[in-house]
Amino acid sequence: MNRAVFSLVGFLVVAFVGGIVLFNSAFTLDEAEQAIVIQLGKPVGDPITKPGLHFKKPFIQEVRRFDKRLISWDGDPNQIPTRGEQFISVDTTARWRIADPLLFLQRVQNERGATMRLNDILDSVVRDNISSSDLVEIVRSKDWQISAEDLRRAKLDSQGDVAILTQRIARGRQELTASILAKAQEQMPGLGIELVDIRIKRIDYVEAVQQRVFERMIAERQRIAEQFRSEGQGRAAEIDGETQRLLATVSSEARRQAEIIRGEADAEATRIYNDAFGADAEFFAFFRSLESYSRSINAKTTLFLGPETDYVRYLRDADVPAK
Amino acid sequence: MASQHYSPEEGGLNLAEALRLYGKGLLFIPLVLVLAIAAFTAFYTVQPEEEAVVKRFGRVTAINPPGFHQKLPFGIDRVQFVPTARVLKEEFGFRSAGRDGRTQYVKSSDQRGESLMLTGDLKVIDVEWVVQFQIADPSKFLHRARDPVATLRDTSEAVMRRIVGNSLGSDVLTEKRVQVSTAARVELQEILNSFDLGIRINTIELQDVTPPELVKPAFNEVNQAEQERERLINEAEKRRNQVIPRAEGQARQIVAEAEAYRAERVNRSRGEAGRFTAILTEYQRAPALTRQRLYLEMIDQVLPNAGPVYIVEEGMSSPLPLLNLETAGAAAAGQKGVRQ
Repeated sequence: MNRAVFSLVGFLVVAFVGGIVLFNSAFTLDEAEQAIVIQLGKPVGDPITKPGLHFKKPFIQEVRRFDKRLISWDGDPNQIPTRGEQFISVDTTARWRIADPLLFLQRVQNERGATMRLNDILDSVVRDNISSSDLVEIVRSKDWQISAEDLRRAKLDSQGDVAILTQRIARGRQELTASILAKAQEQMPGLGIELVDIRIKRIDYVEAVQQRVFERMIAERQRIAEQFRSEGQGRAAEIDGETQRLLATVSSEARRQAEIIRGEADAEATRIYNDAFGADAEFFAFFRSLESYSRSINAKTTLFLGPETDYVRYLRDADVPAK
Repeated sequence: MASQHYSPEEGGLNLAEALRLYGKGLLFIPLVLVLAIAAFTAFYTVQPEEEAVVKRFGRVTAINPPGFHQKLPFGIDRVQFVPTARVLKEEFGFRSAGRDGRTQYVKSSDQRGESLMLTGDLKVIDVEWVVQFQIADPSKFLHRARDPVATLRDTSEAVMRRIVGNSLGSDVLTEKRVQVSTAARVELQEILNSFDLGIRINTIELQDVTPPELVKPAFNEVNQAEQERERLINEAEKRRNQVIPRAEGQARQIVAEAEAYRAERVNRSRGEAGRFTAILTEYQRAPALTRQRLYLEMIDQVLPNAGPVYIVEEGMSSPLPLLNLETAGAAAAGQKGVRQ
């Protein structure tokens, strides 16, 4: 009886202790993790990067885990003057990962420490590169080009800016970020950090400059609006003038044609008359005169008929004329 | 255990007793418990829009499609569900806040910062956009970056600003929208691929692209001015259209009237000529007689309609002095005359 109890208790104790030892010597590593094993303060072996089940010596070895993934770094927006003394606000973002956990542990201890070191390094590299570049170099890329059409329009829109628009880009945003990255990467190996990427997330004018840019944009728009209005008035006047010209052309052309037609008509009529009347000009004079008398003599006409008038002759003398 | 140490004699005796009496039954209870836990932790269901990443001791062993699956229990296998079939989206410069089934767009000063950017002509523009993406590789999505969505957001902002910074503001506002969004998609995908995040960008859509709030009225003024220009031009064209066809009609009228004149003039001349020719033919057969007759016919016609007719005496070659009795106030003078 008692032996059975003892053996049971013994078994339980052994199992318990065995369990503790097992749990202390086995550890799992997630896909996202890497670890180093430290034995009494001294690192042992290479960093473990393979995920899965791993073993260590119990109690005397401890596991320090580190993230294996990309970690974001977000800088505070910095006010930096460009080479042209324009103050801009630059906001950068970076990705980094722990490349050498042991070195990382030794140099910066943890991510907080790493972030602080990155703040110092990246801020200064960004500041150096920005302040030695023109604003256009930071904003545009190397393949910047402006078409002739755009340039023409820009000349109309904003007279002063043409020089800026056509300014050749020596490096541009992409090369600038590449050189920031390269410069910053130089300082990383000593920290056990791999800097994967750094980019300029935002560039903004500082408040005062922005205000002036807005004012400039407003003035430019108003100038364009004014131009549109006067263009409209000009075009309208042009059309009105054209209308007047057309009107004059149309009616004078019609009158010209009409005059020619009338002239032809008169000529035709004259020819017809001449042909007919020319057959006996004397008779025509007689005939036409008679016709004219009957047309032109009316109640307002006073007639004096002399004694020799044919008509009157018989009034005075009805004798048979002597033959 | 505590009870064992507490009273070894009686406890031990009772335990031994109990073991003897219910040994099999007591062993059965933990077995049932273990089986129950195993049953609860050995199965899982993957929803239609998801895939399941199965990790054994932290290492990825399988990625399972939607359906009912089995795994090793007791936390040996752990499962993470990733919505790979769903199209996810990130908004920049605004947030849509769905309420009552309607989408409302909200823009705070924070999001204004996201969307205000410099253009290549060093002006400021407000670009809002949406990135639609899918998780192409759930394992990479979970394990390559600590916060892949933040990485996507940061990178997307950087890319959009680079491209807009390399374009003219007026182009981005108008015709280059599509080009900008396409270029941004390609470039963003390239960079994310270099991070190996397991994200596939479906589209980048530019939403509202506008001038900054303060400048908007000036832009509207330009639009109004442009419309005013069109209006002025249209009105002038309207005036022209009102006047010109009428003038053309009048011109045709003038020409037609001239044609009418010609027709009339020619016809009349032909008529008169014909009449004259006809009379002349007859006249030539008896000239003297015809003349006399024509003359007298004329007199017949003229005298009844004429005013005063005076027959002047022989020897009074001058018509003066005259006395016109007919019209009062006419010149006065003695005159012998016969009124007919």
